[in-house]
Formats: sequence, structure tokens, C-alpha cells
Amino acid sequence: MRSDSPSLVKDLPRLAVLCIAAFIVLVPYVWMLAVSVKPQDEVFRASLTLLPERWALIENYGKVLRTIPVLTFVINGLIVCFGILFFQLLFAIPAAYALAKLNFRGREILFGFVMLGLLIPYQTTALPLYMGFHQAGLLNSYTALIAPFTCSVFAIFLFRQFFKALPDDLIAAARIDGMGEFSIVWRVILPNAWPAATAFAIFSVVAHWNDLFWPLIVIQKGSLYTPAMGILAFRSVESGDDYGALMAAATLVAAPLVIAFLFAQRRFIEGVTMTGLKG
Amino acid sequence: MSDAAAAAYAMAPRERSRARSLVGDGGAAWLLTLPAIIAYLLMILLPLAGVLALAFTDYEFGGTSFRWIGSENFADMLKDRTFMASIRNTVIYCFFVVPLSIGIALLLAILIEAGARGRAFFRAVFFLPVVSLTVAMATAWQYLLHPSIGPVNAVLRGLGLGTPNWLGSSDWVLMSLGMIGVWENVGFNLVLFLAGLTAIPRELYGAAEVDGAKSAWSRFALVTWPLLGPTLLFVIIITMTRSIRVFDSVQTLTQGGPNNASEVLLRTIYQEGFHYFKFGYSAAITLVFLAIVLAVMLVQTRLIDRRIHYG
Amino acid sequence: MAGVSVSAVSKSFGVTEVLKDVSLEVRKGEFVSLVGPSGCGKTTLMRIIAGLETASSGMVTIEGRDVTNIRAADRDVAMVFQNYALYPHLTVSQNLAVPLVMRRLSALQRMPLFGRFIGDAKAKLAAISDETKRTAEMLGIAHLMDRKPAQLSGGQRQRVALGRAIVRHPRVFLMDEPLSNLDAALRVHTRAEIVALHRRVGAATVYVTHDQSEAMTMSDRVAVMMGGEILQIAAPEEIYLDPADLRVASFIGSPKINVLAAEADERGRVSVDGVPTGLLAPSRGPVTFAVRPEDIAPAGDGIPARLTHVEFLGDCALLHAETIGNKRPVICRVAPDRRPRVAIGGEISLWPDAAKSFLFDGNGKRVSAAVAKQKPAHV
Ligand SMILES: Nc1ncnc2c1ncn2[C@@H]1O[C@H](COP(=O)(O)OP(=O)(O)O)[C@@H](O)[C@H]1O
Ligand SMILES: [Mg+2]
Repeated sequence: MRSDSPSLVKDLPRLAVLCIAAFIVLVPYVWMLAVSVKPQDEVFRASLTLLPERWALIENYGKVLRTIPVLTFVINGLIVCFGILFFQLLFAIPAAYALAKLNFRGREILFGFVMLGLLIPYQTTALPLYMGFHQAGLLNSYTALIAPFTCSVFAIFLFRQFFKALPDDLIAAARIDGMGEFSIVWRVILPNAWPAATAFAIFSVVAHWNDLFWPLIVIQKGSLYTPAMGILAFRSVESGDDYGALMAAATLVAAPLVIAFLFAQRRFIEGVTMTGLKG
Repeated sequence: MSDAAAAAYAMAPRERSRARSLVGDGGAAWLLTLPAIIAYLLMILLPLAGVLALAFTDYEFGGTSFRWIGSENFADMLKDRTFMASIRNTVIYCFFVVPLSIGIALLLAILIEAGARGRAFFRAVFFLPVVSLTVAMATAWQYLLHPSIGPVNAVLRGLGLGTPNWLGSSDWVLMSLGMIGVWENVGFNLVLFLAGLTAIPRELYGAAEVDGAKSAWSRFALVTWPLLGPTLLFVIIITMTRSIRVFDSVQTLTQGGPNNASEVLLRTIYQEGFHYFKFGYSAAITLVFLAIVLAVMLVQTRLIDRRIHYG
Repeated sequence: MAGVSVSAVSKSFGVTEVLKDVSLEVRKGEFVSLVGPSGCGKTTLMRIIAGLETASSGMVTIEGRDVTNIRAADRDVAMVFQNYALYPHLTVSQNLAVPLVMRRLSALQRMPLFGRFIGDAKAKLAAISDETKRTAEMLGIAHLMDRKPAQLSGGQRQRVALGRAIVRHPRVFLMDEPLSNLDAALRVHTRAEIVALHRRVGAATVYVTHDQSEAMTMSDRVAVMMGGEILQIAAPEEIYLDPADLRVASFIGSPKINVLAAEADERGRVSVDGVPTGLLAPSRGPVTFAVRPEDIAPAGDGIPARLTHVEFLGDCALLHAETIGNKRPVICRVAPDRRPRVAIGGEISLWPDAAKSFLFDGNGKRVSAAVAKQKPAHV
């Protein structure tokens, strides 16, 4: 554990192992991109060359865009993810502040419920929620996609931990300055919650962008499909044989989050490490 | 409210804490928590009660009536070949994915941490699957593992080896899904391990060296491994619960097939509930699923309490 | 024989040179302090001695043996780290035992659960347990043996760290700011204990600190380090009374030495603000004149200054003034009854004791000075 790094030669075995592992991780991406620009006959030739003899980029991507409204799916995905995030923060931050910094009867019980909620995977409650949304006539709506996730006990837990670390004197000073509890949340807590909020935002967006289980249950209408459902839909239309177009579709829907990640790697990884308690 | 608080603050510290608990922050606190409480009731607590109740009925969605049938649903499960396969497959999947993804992640994390070169690059590469849409990447894997046109089999053929039908044969399908699961989870675990490793004070390695830990292995045994204990247990819990909840890749690639060889718990819940609309039965399976998740967490938090009482 | 000898060691991290040609010799049983401002390279030098860092060039020997390319575990050095670096998962007694276990037991014997049944492991463990107990008793931590570091106070942790270092009687004992995490009262108390401990153990000791009073009170010799160089290494009195470098003179002593711009005329007579000081420089030109607060006092016909502030400390008073010519701050330590009858803001005249004043050249190196004439003792 010397601070000076060893010479490149000594470092080589380590780098070699890492490179091999990195290569394996990247294989699916490379092939996904390669096949997405290959014409069908070349795909079926099953050769190991990556670059196509004849580029079918326009053909494949054109077919995807003609068959399914990719942009709509992506927008749906954004609406759902950010809708969920908005309500999660709106509900969780004040509650977490109260649990962290205010003394009131029932606080321990409320926190007990938070801990209980942490133990319960959301898939558990799918059946009754479906019945509820059916009763309310809300199946096939953004509400059905967003509402079940608005109370994130995990967010409450995370923010509570974070707020607990803020000095009591900060809040006392705000009170002396004449702020009420709501303005304290708005003016003192919120500006200080950014690190936790970005971390949680990334965690939440990644989780819901990737989610398939719940959208599959409540959405039948094509115009409300999320990106994940979009590919499944495209596959069933295509009977899953035109791999070029299929990979093009996969590339298109996976791209937004991957690009966002490449631009803000550090934040993403911090977000996951900070929220790593729950997957 | 804030007047009371300010007044309380003006008192001497000891009196203040007493006064605070007497006056309390009650009103504001309940107002601040109210939205969360309502959402919690509607979206978590009531549905949870609902599932508990449903599990003991024969309710079918769309039907007009139902009966309380006690534990009949649970008795049915034992005779249900699909369910039994589902349990078995989920367990096998977990025992494949958890040790492999954790072991590989730990190894890679230690390798990354051992030098300065390429740290950010490798971290980003290994993390990529975590942010990639599972359904999309499963589709890419479907192509890679395609029995006749897939590159994996093309390589095997080139090496003169057998070319299994990765996703289409009941012998291989669970392992194939497991490999995809490992591929997906390694990056996530790796990042957690890296955080755990960087949290170990550098000085401890110096101390270990001065104390006579000569080999890298003895320093690992003396410092890294024990100090990584809490992280490791966390990672095990997370990977366990993530693997128990496997759904996306199965739904995308095999739909539980062939012949239930890749049927997993969440998919069975989905299938029984939203395909056959047997809500009562599906709810009962949900409870089994929940019980497994809770048991995993309970056992492991017990372990944490027993083993990790420092720091 | 030298316990530790560091010769011409340099160290660079990338392009920044952290140690420049450092040489240091510590005799067996000697206590040498390495003192200097934060960031001057003390820890780096210590880690090079310990074998935790490799020098870019130069040589380290321990009791005559060249250890430059020998790793820490084989150097027979012990180290107390600034943050103690106790193993958080081990109890106090286990922490104390680590250096012995790592050295005496084979890798197989160290295996958990069944390792103790291999060969003579049991006998060795029993011996180790005796030795750790003895060390713990010596340090007064025997009652803490089953606690983990997290359950100890700062002072107790520090003792455990000391114990872990002395338990195996190392040839060289290194301490990196071991007191900096303790509160002031405990720090002063522990100083004396460390000195006493050093006498009992008798190992060559290098003690790193940024606190000059710690260095001055504890050591046989003090090495003053700055900017990656050792400026002077000498006994505490010599460092104080005969500094070789302006930076050493400024670093050691509290309040700080007074530094005044001065000028030597063609005959070498040094004057400050036009007032002759009674010192003779070897050549003409600008020089730096320095005098400790206790060696300058108000007296007639001296350097004119304005009194800005008086601190009464009981046994003495500190007069803060500013020279009228160059507007330099000056502090004089005088007996309380000798404070001048001048209001704050009033003019006083300061007379330095030429015999105890120093001259430095433009690079801060000491210039030998002769005393031309002794002024009559101040009245
Ligand atoms: N591993 C390292 N890489 C780069 N610079 C370092 C490293 N370790 C120390 N330094 C630099 O070397 C200088 C001396 O550090 P150090 O020996 O810790 O000083 P001290 O202990 O006297 O406070 C500092 O400027 C520090 O920034
Ligand atoms: Mg230091």
C-alpha cells in the first residue's frame, strides 16, 4: 500500500486481468451496436466480424422508428421517472426532517413503520394496488405508473440519516431568526439536502427507468408504454427474428440512461454507493 | 409554533430539552409527515393488508364473489409443479448469482484499488450494466447466446467445442440467466466494495506492515477482510434480495420456459395473478416470496449484529 | 553506534520534491525529535525510515545494517501512527499481540480456529499472552484488554498504540505526532510518560511533532525541518541559543524571535533604523538582525518604537511595539515591574542585548557577529 504507483511492467498483470474482465462486460454492448447496423443476411451468416459489409444503419433504425414510437416511449419513461422522483422528494424530505429533528409523540412509531416499509419489496403489494387502480378506473394512466412509488420509505430513511448529521444549532438559529418549521424545511433543509437528493435521484431514476414488472401489469395501451415495454412490444411485432432492427431498438432505448451515466459517472457511482443499502 | 420553539431555545439547555418535549413540535411535525403518511397508508400499508387477506381467499379477478378458504392456497402450492419448479429455480439462481457476482466483484475491486492506473475507467465500465436497461441488454444477450447465429456459439464452434442451446435447453437455461445476472450485478457490488475499501484507513496497512505482515495475503487477512466485513454483509443482503426478485431477464428471454425450467417466483406471481387472474393464489405465493425476503434479511441482520460491533 | 542513520535521502512524489538530501543520525537509545511546520515532509521521512515508503535516492541503515531495500516487516522498527491505526476489529489484547503473532507464528498457525493446534502454536500463544499482559500492566491498560478500540477514550487508544509498538522491543521506535489527537492537559501529562517509557525501553527513537515545545522538552536532540530539508540538528539549548538559520530561530521559541532589517556599514557596524546595535558583521550591506523577546528591553537611546499593546502574564509582561523607522513588530518580555511608564501609543526606545542577538544573511543563514562594545546593563 505504498503511495507511489509501481512501474508499468509490475502493474501489467493487474491491468491484464482487469482488461479481460472489462472486455467481457463490454461484449454485449459491442455486439448490440455492431448488429444494429448489419443487414439481416449478414446477421444470419453468423460470422465473427464486427463491421458490416453493407451498412444497414438507416434500414434497421428506420424500421424501428417506423414500427414503434420510440420517442414516445422515452418521453413516457422520463415523465414516469421524474414524476415519481418529484413526489418522492416532496413527501420524503419534510417527513424525514420531522423524524430527524423534531420531538413529537409518535415519532418512534412512525420510524418503526419506515423500517417496516424498508423490508417490503414493492412487488408484494402489486395485486391489491391493481385492484385499487382498476376500481378507480386508473389503469392505463400515468397515475397508475407513478402513484405506487410516491412514498419512498427508503428516501425517508436516507434523508433522515442525512438530516440527523446536520447540526441542531443550524435549526435553532433559523428558529431564532423567526422561521417557522415550513420555512426551515424550504430554506434551510432543502438547500442542504442536495448531496443526498442527487444521490437518491440517480438511484430512483435508474430503478424506475429499468422497471418492467409494474408497467407490464398496469399498462396495455401502446401510447403509454415505457422504454422497457417498448422493446418487448417491438419483439412481438417482429416475432423476434430481425436481429438488426431488434438491436437497433435495444440501442435506442438503452441509450438515454447510458449516455447520462457517461456524462456524470462520478455522480452516478456516488449515488449508488450512498444509496447502496437497497437495490 | 416557532415562537414556542424560540422561547424554548432561550432557556438553559437542560430546561430546554424538557420544555421541548412538553411543548413538543407535534403540530408541525404531523403536518410535515402527513403527505408521506397518507401515501404510505394508501400505497403500502393497505395493499399489504390486502395481500394478507387475499392469500386466504379463492378470489379471482373479475369474479363477483369469493370464499375464505384458509390455508388451501398454500396446500395447493405444494402440489403445484410450476410453483415448486419456480421455488427451486429461484433458489438455484440465487446460489449461482450471489457467490459469483460477489466473489468476482470483490476480486475486481481489490485489483482496481491496488493501483492508480485506469481506476475511473474500469469502475465506469463495470458499472455500465447497472444503468443499462435490463430488457434491452437481455435482448442483446439473446442474440449473443443464439444457438445458431450467436457469436458465443460461433467462438465455441471455432474452438471445436459443443454448442449448447443456451436459452432453449432446460439444462442450460438457468445457468445462462444466472450468467446474465452475474454480469448485471458485478458492477453494483464492485462499486460498494470500492467504497468499503477506500473507507479503510491507509495507516492500518502501514501498521500491519510494521507489525510484520509481510505478504499481501497476510495484510489482506489482517486488515482488508475483517474491515470489509460490514460492507460484505450488506452486499450479500442486497445481492440476495435482488436475485430473489429476478424477473426482467426471465420475462424477456424465456418466459419461464422451456418447460418451467426457468420459472422464477416473481414471474409465477405475475403469471398466476395477471395472466390467469387467480388473485387469491397469486397473493399466497406473494406471501411466500415476502417470507423468503424477510427471512434472508432477518438472518443476515442477525449476523451483522453478532459479528460487527465496532466502528 | 548509530541506531538509525539516514544519509542523503531524497523523495519526490511525481514532480514535487518532498525531501531534499536529508541526512540524520540517531544513536542507540537516543531520543531525537523531528519538528517542523505541517507539510514539511516529517511523515514522509518517518515512513521512509519505517520502510513504508521507498526513497527516490539515499540510504537508510539500522544498527549498521543497510535496510534501504528491506521491507518494513523485516526492519525491526515499531511505529506509533498519528491516528494510532489500531485494528478496529481486534480487542486491546489482540491488538497488542499482533506484532508478536505475525513474527512468531507461521502462516498456518495463524489460521483461524484450527491454527492453534499446529505444532507449538499453543506454547507460543501462551508466551505472547504473557508478554502482552506485562506490557499492558506497564502502561496501565491491563483492565481494558477485552475492549475494542471504539470503546476506548483517546488517551487509552494512544496507550494501546504505544503498547503495540513496544511490546516486541524494537531496535527503532518511531512516533508520528502521537500526542496531536489528545487534549492539552493530557498532552502535557503524556509527554513525561513517553520520555520515561523511552528511558526504560532504550530504543533509538524518532519523534515527529509540529509542536516546538514538545520537541524542546522531550528530546536529547532536535532536528528542525522545513521545506523538505533538515535545517539544524542539535540539543534543545543549542537550537534555541545558537540557531543556524533564521527559519530555525523563528520556528523555535514562543513568543517568536524579533526579526528586524539592519544595515552594516563599511566597518561592519550593524544598525537598525539608524541606531547602532553594537554588533559587527563581517562585511557591509543589508543583514537581518534577530533578538529573542527576553533579550530586548526598553532603555534609553535604543531603537525608537511605539508601544501598541501590553500583555500581563504574571511572572512577566509582554510589550508589543512597532519600530518607528521600518514599522516592524517587536515583542519584549520584561519583568512586570519594568514595564515602561508610557501609555499605549506612546514612544519607547528598545535596546537589544548585543551578546544575545543574531545576524543572518539574505538567505537566512547565520552570519558570525562580533560584539563591538557592551552597552552598560539596562537599568
Ligand atoms: N502520497 C503522496 N503523494 C503526493 N504528495 C504527497 C504524498 N504524501 C505526502 N505528500 C506531500 O508531501 C509533503 C510532505 O508531507 P508529509 O510528509 O505528510 O508532511 P508532514 O508530516 O510534515 O506534515 C506534503 O506537501 C504532501 O502534500
Ligand atoms: Mg504528518
